Amino acid sequence: MAIFRPEEQEKVREILTGLERPVELVVALGPEEGPVPGAPPDFDFGAETTRVVEELCALSESLSFRVEQEPEGVARFPAVLVRPEGEEVGVHYYGLPWGYELGSLLGAVIEAGKREPTLRPESLEALAGLDRDLSIDVFVTPT
Amino acid sequence: MLLAYRLALASPRICASAVEATEFPRLADEMDVTAVPTVVVNGAPQWAGSVPERAFLERVLAATFE
Repeated sequence: MAIFRPEEQEKVREILTGLERPVELVVALGPEEGPVPGAPPDFDFGAETTRVVEELCALSESLSFRVEQEPEGVARFPAVLVRPEGEEVGVHYYGLPWGYELGSLLGAVIEAGKREPTLRPESLEALAGLDRDLSIDVFVTPT
Repeated sequence: MLLAYRLALASPRICASAVEATEFPRLADEMDVTAVPTVVVNGAPQWAGSVPERAFLERVLAATFE
């Protein structure tokens, strides 16, 4: 079954025309945590994530993807690394981006496709003074 | 989630990840995730719920310097 219905495809295709630079998606595959409550025991989250990303990338010439097995720096699988112009910038999605969370991945792609940061000037100023590394994990659910 | 991604794109010091809680239940349990979105900074749970950009950044930076 297709990830996007025809009318959704058109909508997403239109949204993706706003990309100002190419974005690469790296699908990171490896041992999965499992079992996931409510999911069939043999459900292949990695394969499904690859399928979602492949269908998304088919909707824009500015989007490309590749699949890597256990890339460095990725501890959980599956994951999608969102890389503007192929550069690793710390924008990641862990899990299968489906349902409501497909919007999170799409949002990451749209943001990564912008040439200039979209934060308020005061926020950019505050971030310029950041002198240590920082990780932000946001737990989400698809429903 | 978008705010976290915007921060990561604006600063080379920041890494932002969405974590699908039902797919990583052990990690979600470790982080005391009972509602979404739950925000974790440098491995420490901070708050649950959506907040505007200013508050988000203030909370994240405060957690960084704890």
